[in-house]
Amino acid sequence: MTEPSPNTAPSLPVLTVQQPADMPERGLKLEADAVVIGSGAGGAVAAYELRQAGAKVVVLEAGPYVKSEQFTERLVESFQTLYEEGGNQTNKSGDLVVLQGACIGGSTVINAAVCFRAPDKVLEAWGENNGLDNLSPEAMAPYFERVEKNLHIHPNGAHEINLNGRMIRDGAKKAGIPAGPCSRNIKHCALTGHCIAGCKTDRKQSMLVTYLPWASELGATILSGTRAESFEVSNGRVTQVNAVATDANGRSKPIEVKAGLVVVAAGAVQTPLLFQKNAIGNSSGLIGHNFACHPSTAMIGEHKDDVYGWLGATITTYAGNIEDPKEGSYLLEAGFLGPMSITTASDGGVGREYTDFIQNSKKFLASVTLIHDHNVGRVYMENGRKRIDYDLDDRDFPSLQEAFRGAAKIYFAAGAERVFLPTTRRTVIESPDQIDSVINSLENGKHRYKLTSYHPQGTMRMGRDPKKSVVGPNGLMHDLDNVYVVDASLFPTTLLVNPQETVYAMASYLSDGMLARG
Amino acid sequence: MFERFAEVYIPTEGTSLKPLSDVPYLDNIDRVLAFLDAPTLDEVHTGMKLFDYGSVVVGLHFARFANLDPDDRLEYIRAWDDGGETQRAIVVLIKKLIAVGYWQDVEAARRVGYHGPVSDEAKILSLGNAPMPIAMVEGSETP
Repeated sequence: MTEPSPNTAPSLPVLTVQQPADMPERGLKLEADAVVIGSGAGGAVAAYELRQAGAKVVVLEAGPYVKSEQFTERLVESFQTLYEEGGNQTNKSGDLVVLQGACIGGSTVINAAVCFRAPDKVLEAWGENNGLDNLSPEAMAPYFERVEKNLHIHPNGAHEINLNGRMIRDGAKKAGIPAGPCSRNIKHCALTGHCIAGCKTDRKQSMLVTYLPWASELGATILSGTRAESFEVSNGRVTQVNAVATDANGRSKPIEVKAGLVVVAAGAVQTPLLFQKNAIGNSSGLIGHNFACHPSTAMIGEHKDDVYGWLGATITTYAGNIEDPKEGSYLLEAGFLGPMSITTASDGGVGREYTDFIQNSKKFLASVTLIHDHNVGRVYMENGRKRIDYDLDDRDFPSLQEAFRGAAKIYFAAGAERVFLPTTRRTVIESPDQIDSVINSLENGKHRYKLTSYHPQGTMRMGRDPKKSVVGPNGLMHDLDNVYVVDASLFPTTLLVNPQETVYAMASYLSDGMLARG
Repeated sequence: MFERFAEVYIPTEGTSLKPLSDVPYLDNIDRVLAFLDAPTLDEVHTGMKLFDYGSVVVGLHFARFANLDPDDRLEYIRAWDDGGETQRAIVVLIKKLIAVGYWQDVEAARRVGYHGPVSDEAKILSLGNAPMPIAMVEGSETP
C-alpha cells in the first residue's frame, strides 16, 4: 500500500472556521436555510448532506477550533483542550467519568475510531418496541455503506493488530468467546496509539478532516466557540437560534441565526439541556430521561513476558456476542494506553504494592469493557449545575460481572499470570480457579468500580408514540415542526457497540428525509 | 497533604521510577483543578479537609494525616480504601489527582516503557483533509 503524499495529492478541501476572535464586537446576524447545532458525528454529516443538496447551512459549535497540528499527544493537555469540562465531566455521584469531545468535530476527534454497525437485533427491537420499522437493517444498510465508504471504515488489517490484540483475540477463541478485528474509520494508520488525544497526522477520518471540510468547501458557514442558548418560537416552529460566541479573553458576542430548519446534534448531554432550558418540545416530559452510557471499565492482566500493549493502534480486536445484545451482554475491546490511564482505571494498591504493579505495566494485557445497560439515568440542571443522574443499575451489575468473568477467562487463556479487576480497592484474581469466587463476591455500589462512559445515549428518545418519545421516526421532534435531532440522544436503547457509525448513518438517513420533506 | 500522600502512594526510592521530587506533580494537579467549576472545587476542598483531619478520629491517630509517620499514613489510606462510600470517593480522587499529576510527565512515563508523544519526533506526515467523496465530485450521488 502506497501512502499518498499531501504534496502530490489533488487539491484537498479546506476547512474554514470563523472563531469568536474573528467576529465583530456587535456579533453576527445570519440567515440560513438550516442551522446545525453541534459539529460532531451527527451535526457534521447533516451539515454536509444539506449543503450538498444546495441548502445554505450555518453550523454552531460550542467548543473551540483546534487544528490537528496543535494536538500534542499528551493526554492531560488533550483533555484540557478537546474534552467537555477538561475531561472532568462526571455523573452526579462522581464515580463515572463521562468523556465527550468539546471542539470542532466533537467526540469524533477524540474517540478511538472504532466502528460497528448497530446490531440487526437492536434495530429490529426498535421497530417492534418503539415503532421504528423505518430503521430496519435493510433500510439502514445503504446508509451504513455510504458512511463506510466515505470514512474509510474497514476491519483492522494484520499490521494494525498488536500483540495485545492478538493475545486477547486468541485467548477469546480458546475460551469459546466470539472475537474478531475491530473496524475503524482510519486511513494509513500511523499506529502511534494516540487516538484519544486527537490524531495529529490526520489518519483518523474524524469529522475534523472529512464531513466538515467537505461542507465548508461547498460553502457552509462554521462557527466555533459559539454556544446555542435560546430559541425564538412561533406557531410550533423555531424561527431563530440565539447563541453566544465567547473569545479567549472571555468577551461574549451575540449570534443570531434565522433559519427554516433547525438540526440539533449537541450530544446526549447538551441536546436535552438546551430544550429543558428553553422549556419547549417536552409534552412527553421525557427530555433528558432514559440516559444510558455503556459504562466501561479497563481490565488488566499481567503476563510473564513483555506485551507493550500501548504500541500500535489504540483499539485492535474485540470479544463478545455483539450479534444479539441482551441482558448480560458485554463487549471487550483490546486496547491500551499509558501508565496514567492504567492507574486511573485500575487500582494497583499503594506503596511498594503500587510501584511493583506499575513497573510491570509493559507486561500488561488490557481491554475496555462495555455493557448493554438500561436507560435509567436523567440529565437536567440543578441550581445552575449540569447533572447527570446515573448510577449502575442493579439489573446491569450482572452484565458488569460477566464482562469481568469473560475478560479474566480470556486473559488466563492467553497466558496471564494474574488479573486485576477495575475496583476502587485493589482486587486480584491469582488463578483461573479463583475467577468465579472473586467475581461472585463483588457487590454493586457507588465508588466501588472505576467507571468511564464514552457513549452517552438516549435522552431525546425516538419513537412513534408522542407520549412515549420526544422525537418521531423521521428525526423530527413531535412538538416542533421544523426541529430535527440527529445525535445519539435518539437511541431508544443502547447499542452495546460503539455508536459513532450508527450516528453517521442515521444522520445521513435523516438528512435525506429532511430534504425530501423540503 | 498531597505531598505526604504521594510520598507513601508512589515511593519511588529504590525503584526504576522517576523520583517523585523531580516531577512537578503539584503544579500539574493545580492545572487539573483549575478546570473544575466553583461548586465542584468547593466539594473537592471539603473532601481533602475531611481526609486530612479525619485521621484525628479514624484509626485514633489523634493527628492530621499530613503529620502522621509513613506507616500510619499507609494504614490510614488503606482504611479509607475499605471505608464507606464517601471515604472511597475521596481517597480515589486523591489517588487519581496524584497519578495524573505524576504520570503526565513524559520522562516519568518513559521510565516504564511508555513512548509518549511520537509524531513530531518521528516526523510522521499529516495526510491533511480527506478528498471530497468521489461520487459527489462526479455529481452522480443525489440524496
